[in-house]
Amino acid sequence: MLKKKSNKFTLVDMAVVLIVIAAISFFFSRMGNLLDYKWEWDLIPGYFIFKDPVTGTFHSNMLLTGFFTTIRLSFWATVLGFLLGTISGMMGAKGSFSQRFASRLYVETIRNIPSLVLVILFYYFVSSQFLDALRLDLWLRNQSDTIQGAVGFFLAGPERINAFVSAVLALAIYEGAYISEIVRGGINGIDQGQWEAAWSVGLSRSKTFLGVILPQAFRRVAFPLAGQFISTIKDSAIVSVISIQELTFQGMELMAATFLTFEIWITIAVLYFILTFSLSRMVAILEKKFSWQQ
Amino acid sequence: MKRAAGVIKSVVLLGILAAVLVGGYQNLEYNWQWYRLSPYFFSIEKGQFVKGLLLDGLVITLKISSLGLVFSILLGSFSAFARLSVSPMLRLSAWVYVETIRNTPLLIQIFILYFVISPVLDISAFWSAVIALSLFEGAYASEIIRSGIINIPAGQVEAAQSIGLSVYATYVKVIIPQMLRQTLPMLAGQSVSLIKDSALVSTISIYDLTMQGQKIVSETFLTFEIWFAVAVCYLSITATLSFLIRRVENKMRYIN
Amino acid sequence: MKKLFYLLAVGLALLGYTMAVAGETGAKLSQESIIEKIQKEGVIRVGMATFVPWAMKDKQGQLIGFEIDVAKKLAQDMGVEIEFIPTAWSGIIPALLTGKFDVIIGGMGVTPVRNLKVNFTVPYDYSGMSMVAHQKRAAGFSRIEDFNKPEVIIAVRMGTTAEQAAKKYMPTAQFKLFENESQALQELNLGRVHAVVSSAPMPAFHALKYPDKLFVPLKENFTKEPIGFALKKGDYDALNYFNNWILNMHAQGFLKEKKAYWFESKKWENLIK
Repeated sequence: MLKKKSNKFTLVDMAVVLIVIAAISFFFSRMGNLLDYKWEWDLIPGYFIFKDPVTGTFHSNMLLTGFFTTIRLSFWATVLGFLLGTISGMMGAKGSFSQRFASRLYVETIRNIPSLVLVILFYYFVSSQFLDALRLDLWLRNQSDTIQGAVGFFLAGPERINAFVSAVLALAIYEGAYISEIVRGGINGIDQGQWEAAWSVGLSRSKTFLGVILPQAFRRVAFPLAGQFISTIKDSAIVSVISIQELTFQGMELMAATFLTFEIWITIAVLYFILTFSLSRMVAILEKKFSWQQ
Repeated sequence: MKRAAGVIKSVVLLGILAAVLVGGYQNLEYNWQWYRLSPYFFSIEKGQFVKGLLLDGLVITLKISSLGLVFSILLGSFSAFARLSVSPMLRLSAWVYVETIRNTPLLIQIFILYFVISPVLDISAFWSAVIALSLFEGAYASEIIRSGIINIPAGQVEAAQSIGLSVYATYVKVIIPQMLRQTLPMLAGQSVSLIKDSALVSTISIYDLTMQGQKIVSETFLTFEIWFAVAVCYLSITATLSFLIRRVENKMRYIN
Repeated sequence: MKKLFYLLAVGLALLGYTMAVAGETGAKLSQESIIEKIQKEGVIRVGMATFVPWAMKDKQGQLIGFEIDVAKKLAQDMGVEIEFIPTAWSGIIPALLTGKFDVIIGGMGVTPVRNLKVNFTVPYDYSGMSMVAHQKRAAGFSRIEDFNKPEVIIAVRMGTTAEQAAKKYMPTAQFKLFENESQALQELNLGRVHAVVSSAPMPAFHALKYPDKLFVPLKENFTKEPIGFALKKGDYDALNYFNNWILNMHAQGFLKEKKAYWFESKKWENLIK
């Protein structure tokens, strides 16, 4: 902006590179001397997939199942949160006084409590009200194996379904508050002129809203929403405190049993990184494509 | 008339919510013992005000959050300037920093900092928490500051340069004042985020508000009373903060 | 817009109704013993937490351990399937009380404080607290009193009898509480605390793994506590059933055999790593 960004390698660059290399080597040498840690990276792949010695088939192990649970959790939480957030956003943008009040109450309450506290409150207080009484796990157990398999693939098996649904709802409520703000901003951001033009052509308010404003708002919010899905993946790590067997939890369990602390933490961080980074790159590429089409 | 109807409907909504809550309250075969809560906030012993455990935790939360706020803004500004600088290495390092932090959960970052990095560099638990929070929020602050700088109309910069201001002067006289105006809402968002995210440091046994809550619950089993009290505490701090900053924002609008 | 709002109001009302119904069914269910409930449903839900070697995951991600064996035998004898619900230990009693599972079989120590909230069976095991300490930081410490000083830092798992015992016997020391033993032990390995208090034989096992860093300072366990199943209050049938089952298991030598395998040998080590 101020000066042309060059790609020339100047002295400043040399200094930066040297500092970074020095810092890293300092870190690892201290680690070697102080901690006397024996790296055992060879054990890690076994926790992803292992070969059953008896049958010879491959099974997914804790880290891999945890990885997929994280994806399932984030997906459903985003879907539900999207529904919740859209309703709340619409009410908040163009609703009557009481509707805006309701939306504002929801958003402000959720956005001002730590997600940790919300998840704990939800798990102990709210879910025991009606979720546990529903006994989803029992219902699932009594279904045929194919149904159990299908539900297990998309959601969770009978042993985990209660906690899973609990976590999905808690996350959905949390993300919904943020989505609500995005949707509200999207709707409000649409030019007043659009409303007036539609009005002058004779469209009623609700028809205008549904047919003209909403589609435009969605086009604007589609990408922030994708960003929200990516955020949800990271936020899902919180539900490990209520023992949901997602990636962070599995990692902690594994560490408790094997004490391979460094390897496991690094592996988990890398997994989250790969997941969110690749998704955000894809979204960025799609965004560029669509903005050309506009 | 319409306004009155709206208000009435809102009150009814609140009423339904309250009924649902109270219903839930009585539903659980739980022996509510609200009276046991107050010593955890404070007690008056021999005419002296004694801080309860929850208040202690609150103080720690505020300490960590405020330190985190200062460092994250410093770090975020530095990183934003680095990303906009001439040097490709600076741009790369800042980019790596921001992308790494933004693509991993805070919980994991706290654990790695505490169990992997701090033993090697011999950092105390409290400072590990502050550093982890600052690094995390700093990355997000960096992006906000950077987009704030980019969005200053190019015309302004060109005008400044055409009247002969140096790069440094341009920054100081044109860019930074405008940035400050944009910064205030960001500041609000950052401080609220910090207070909320600081709850996670309870996982490394820092005695903040959340940790005190967990500790008291595990000893006394006053689960719901404590957790509701903790939630209300957080809500009141963040709501107050947002309110205060909004007032300052409004005042500044008058000044400008 | 209006429609949405009424939808919301209806939704909330439905929620309230479900809760009322749930409350009623909950009340009804609590009249019925969990033994009946388990028989009807064909599955027993057991709450536990990871605690090597009481309950842990093997290389294939399956749960193994002393508690797991006990629970599986119970399910087998009841003729039902078993569902393990791993739960954070510091919240395991509230989870039981809010009906997330039927019984806690997780090496839970019978204490008067806990007994005010839950019922316990007769003991199926006895445990005691012991410590593992850092050689450098706790050099020369050999008695409890050595640790009972304000500059001593002890790491324990939150919400356990280890935490209670440690605070009782070393009240002036400082404490670091963690959700898992592994985190507390990690602190110890890093030399950031003086010692970790935990149920025997865990401290001794851990000291054996790192003989150049850690040691066991005390010659004996400094507490003794009974371990029982925990269940919701007011369920006499279940209490009676479990008590008699435990007495049976003692008589058959099942519990002794399992204890010897998990606590006195290390044959199971290669299963987890």
